[in-house]
Amino acid sequence: MDHQMSGHDHAQMQEPSIEEMEIRGWKKKMIWAWIFTIPIAILMLGERLLGFELFPEKVMPIIILALAFPVIFITGWQTIRGGLRGLFTFYFNMDSLIALGTLIAYFSGLLHIFFKNGDYSGVSAMIMAIFVTGKYIETKARGQATQEIKKLLELGAKKARLLQGKIEVEVDISELKIGDIMIIKPGEKIPTDGIVVRGESAVDESMISGESLPVEKGKGSAVIGATLNQDGILYVKATKIGSDTFLAHIINLVEEAQGTKIPIQKLADKVTSIFVPTILIIATLTFIAWLYLTGDINRSLGVGISVLVIACPCALGLAVPIALMVGSGMGAKRGILIRKGEAIQTMKEVRIFVFDKTGTITKGKPEVTNIHSKVKENYLLDIAASLETLSEHPIAHAIVSRANLKKYRKVTNFNIVRGKGVMGKIGSKDIVIGNRSLMTDKNIKYDDLDQKIRGFESEGKTIMIIAENKKALGIIAVADAIKEDSAQAINILNQLGYKIFMLTGDNELTARAIAFQVGIKNVIANVLPEDKAKKVEELQKYGMVAFVGDGINDAPALKQANVGIAMGSGTDIAIEAGDIVLVKGSLRGAIAALNLSKATFKKIKQNLFWAFGYNVIMIPLAMAGILNPVFAEVAMALSSISVITNANLLRRIRV
Amino acid sequence: MKKFKVLIQGMHCASCASNIERSVGKVSGVKSCSVSLMTRKSLIECDDNVKEEEIKKAVARAGYQVVSIEK
Repeated sequence: MDHQMSGHDHAQMQEPSIEEMEIRGWKKKMIWAWIFTIPIAILMLGERLLGFELFPEKVMPIIILALAFPVIFITGWQTIRGGLRGLFTFYFNMDSLIALGTLIAYFSGLLHIFFKNGDYSGVSAMIMAIFVTGKYIETKARGQATQEIKKLLELGAKKARLLQGKIEVEVDISELKIGDIMIIKPGEKIPTDGIVVRGESAVDESMISGESLPVEKGKGSAVIGATLNQDGILYVKATKIGSDTFLAHIINLVEEAQGTKIPIQKLADKVTSIFVPTILIIATLTFIAWLYLTGDINRSLGVGISVLVIACPCALGLAVPIALMVGSGMGAKRGILIRKGEAIQTMKEVRIFVFDKTGTITKGKPEVTNIHSKVKENYLLDIAASLETLSEHPIAHAIVSRANLKKYRKVTNFNIVRGKGVMGKIGSKDIVIGNRSLMTDKNIKYDDLDQKIRGFESEGKTIMIIAENKKALGIIAVADAIKEDSAQAINILNQLGYKIFMLTGDNELTARAIAFQVGIKNVIANVLPEDKAKKVEELQKYGMVAFVGDGINDAPALKQANVGIAMGSGTDIAIEAGDIVLVKGSLRGAIAALNLSKATFKKIKQNLFWAFGYNVIMIPLAMAGILNPVFAEVAMALSSISVITNANLLRRIRV
Repeated sequence: MKKFKVLIQGMHCASCASNIERSVGKVSGVKSCSVSLMTRKSLIECDDNVKEEEIKKAVARAGYQVVSIEK
């Protein structure tokens, strides 16, 4: 590693992806195919429509054969080879049909020189040219369907700027080690997951969580690789690198989800697996039947070729995965990770939503909600925070962060009374902060505050009494605050007619108080963590259940539910749990996931309908001899393109 | 049990994906194989003793090429 700074936007040499290579390949084939096919079309049309002959009748077929040769055997070589191999090894595919169709058509032209049979050699070139064109458009459109996922893959930073001693060094991302201190300047990408050791800034995390507002980061904040630093300089210690990073996990998860099959696809898969051999049989039977009935070998041949080339398993096979791809890509962009494709289908059957309380409906960490003071409020907070800053208890954190002091008072004789509170001396004053039980222990009277205390407690809050020299000065009420959009999200679900339950280990009183505030009527309280799954199972008697909870404590319940929606917040998302993972810990995400699932599934059904419908209608038409082979091939190409285009239209919906 | 993530070249239609699934599925020790035409990737779950070579051969038998295998 040298100490020389290289340019940050140093262009990287990248090899073209398989997809790009495929698109380029088809494009080249398409261009060459038409270079030879257009003259054929002119010759044939000139002869048929205008009725004049450019070449003598004897020479014409030979010229067309010569022009068609490169189309079939050069641009179409891969297709012909793959298709024929498929016929011999019994791994039939789409190519087998096209290969057979074009070869038969081409050889009919060869035979034509010696016998007086129909000449389909010109048609063979057209079929191949249209097929190749269709493939080109299809591959391109398929690439479009994966654009969100591709963006996700390209999101990672390529370089990192490190602090080594006092010198800044730029290294490749692969050389980064855990513990390295990275410097991130305004407008730069955070190279990998880490913890801020110095500096303050706002960070745009929208690409990972879908959260549009930048998130404030300061010393001790966790930052995620690939997010964008906004306005300050951050010094970040790398904590995770390579395949352990948050982004790598997300990518892996989305990719694995692409491989999962959803139940509705099974039928389509079954049909595709027997499709090609079935068509081969149908085409042969059609040819024989036509020959038997009409005795016209030319017509029979044309009809047989039509059947071969019109049949297309592609639309069928693409219908489900392409819609799933677009849907999951849209989700990933908004922080909704669909881990199991099946969830999309199940979601629409869900009738009951069960929410975990702590960390799902609420923020999962206590906040000061009320202060009731007989002295100046600032003074109360001042002494409370000065003591509590010495404690690690979550309630202590809530009080300290509310007070937000610049300077703490000097505390002596500090003492933690486990489960009750804290004590200490500030100057000559004895300070006691704690619950009722601690006050009673210390013989401190708080009768005048009793009514207030009961009021707060009935709202499900925890109270701390602050006493100075044995005199109660006031109370601070602390509660696990409700997330800003919980009530709104639950309201939407209520309106949609879902049954909503809240599941919690808290006591009935606290639970009811929270449930009331967000608009949930059904509360199941006092549930031990290990019993949550059982409760979900009981509810499943009444309908399909979606469980929304955090992935760490609720894993069994997430698994038990028909759809498990795991909530994350920042870097702590338990990716292994849940069928759907929400990167951002907001209940709005659950609604978005619901909408996205429904919309995606609708597309899947539409696509399957068109794909099946196409084959069911077009194959009999071809058998009846109504479709000319060239039009049959155009229809075939359009069928798969239309399925992909329809899936791409999913992007128009709002979730 | 182990998992392979295989990148495959040459697939262009739905039958291709099902051909690969069929061919790889025949390798003894392979528990499941699902091929995504979209990502050109195949996810294979199999016993620990299944070798990369066997997977490659099975993909080739169906008429396609393995570009890379990740574990």
